[in-house]
Amino acid sequence: MLTKEFIGLVAEASKLSKKIVEELLTTTNAIVRENLMDGKTIQLQGLGALEIKERKERVIVHPRTGERSVSPSRNQLVFRPMANMKDELKKI
Amino acid sequence: MAEKLSWTELRRALAARTGVSEKEAGAFLNAFSAQLTEALKSDKQVKVNGLGTFKLQAVAPRKSVNVSTGEEFTIEGYNKIVFAPEAGVKELVESGKQKEVKKSEIDPLKKLGAQAEEIVDILGDLGQSPKEEKPKPEPINEEPERQLVVEDPQPEIVEEPDIQPVVEEPKPEKKKNHFFRDVLICFIILLLLLFGAYFFFRAQLSNWIDQLVQQPASEPQTVQVVEPAPDPIVVEEPVAQDPMAQKLHYAGWITEEPMHQDSRLAWMAKRYYGAKIYWPYLFDTNRDRLANPNMILVGTPIRVPELTAEQKDTTNAQTLANIEMLLKEAEAAMR
Repeated sequence: MLTKEFIGLVAEASKLSKKIVEELLTTTNAIVRENLMDGKTIQLQGLGALEIKERKERVIVHPRTGERSVSPSRNQLVFRPMANMKDELKKI
Repeated sequence: MAEKLSWTELRRALAARTGVSEKEAGAFLNAFSAQLTEALKSDKQVKVNGLGTFKLQAVAPRKSVNVSTGEEFTIEGYNKIVFAPEAGVKELVESGKQKEVKKSEIDPLKKLGAQAEEIVDILGDLGQSPKEEKPKPEPINEEPERQLVVEDPQPEIVEEPDIQPVVEEPKPEKKKNHFFRDVLICFIILLLLLFGAYFFFRAQLSNWIDQLVQQPASEPQTVQVVEPAPDPIVVEEPVAQDPMAQKLHYAGWITEEPMHQDSRLAWMAKRYYGAKIYWPYLFDTNRDRLANPNMILVGTPIRVPELTAEQKDTTNAQTLANIEMLLKEAEAAMR
C-alpha cells in the first residue's frame, strides 16, 4: 500500500481531511526523525517503538574474493512491534 | 535505556507545530496506529513516506524437536512485522552515529589485505574490548549486511573489472576450438550409435533374412508379420500346412502362444509339460518360424504340441534319443 492510499484510510478513520492528514503525517515524521537523532526512542501507541540501535563492529567476508574485513559499527533504525500488534498480525 | 518520546509528547509536539488542536492531533495519531495495523492486514505492506515501509513477512511452518522429550512437532507458520527505513532516514540515522558513537574508535572501512595481518588485528581488537566479542553472532537485520558488503569492497570492485575482461577475451578463441572438438565428438557419437544399432539389430536382421530365404523354399507363406493372421483360427491348421518341418509326430495341439518379451521356449515347456527339458519339442514344431531358437522375435506364435506319455517319459531310451536329436538340431540352428 502506498502512502497516498494509507493517508486516505487514516483520513477516513480520524474524520479529518486528507490534506490535513498529509500535513500531520509529514510533521509527525519530521518530529520522529528529530527525536530519533536526539537518541530518543519513539513510542507509537498500539504499534510499538522506533529506536536507534547500534550495530556493533564485526568481521565480514567479501563473497566473491573471500577477503575478510572489519565492518565498522553503525547505527540503524529498528522497529520493535508491541506484543499485541505482533499477535494480531501473526495469523490473518 | 534511552530517553523516550511518549505518545502524549508526540501529540503535543504535533499540535504545536501544525497549529492543529491537540484533540485532532490525537485523533490523527490514533487513526494512524489503528489503520497501520489494518492496512498491514489487508495489504501486507504499507509505505509511509518520510519514515519507511512496514511489511508483513510470512514465516513458513517448520519442524522442531521438543528438547526434553525428543518429540517432533511443527512450529506453525506466522507473520512477522518488518520495518525497512527509508533511504534518507537510514542515512540520517547512520550519519548521526558520528556524533553519538564516540566509544568505538574504529576508523570506517578499515580494510585489511592480508588475512594474517587482519587476524592479528582482530585478535588485538578483541583483546582491547572484550565486549566486542558478542557482535559477530548478532545479525538481527539482514539488510544492512547486504549494504555493507556492497559498500566495503568498493576499492576491490575497481580491480575486478580489470580481471573480467581478461577472462572474456579468450572466450571467442576457446569457442572456435570447441567448435571443432564438438563436431568431432558428435561424429564419434554418431559412429558409435550406428555400430550399436548394427549389433543390436544384426541378430534380428539375420533372422529375417533367414526366414525370407527359408520360407519361399518350404512353403508359399508370406513374411512373418502376416503369418499370425491365418494361424489363430484353428489350431490344427498349422499341422496340415507344414507337416514336413517337424520330425516327430504329435498327438495333437494344446495351443498356439505368441512369444512374450521375457519368455523362453524352456519356460514354456516347463509351463505346459512340467519340465524345461522338453523344450526341443517346441523347437521341432516351430522350425519354420524359428531360424534360431535363441533369437525369437517377440510376438512370434509358438505352436505347443500335445505330448504323449511316451514322449514325456524320460526313462524311455527312444524318447531321450529323440530329445537329444532335436536338441542337437536346435543347437545347430543357434550357430
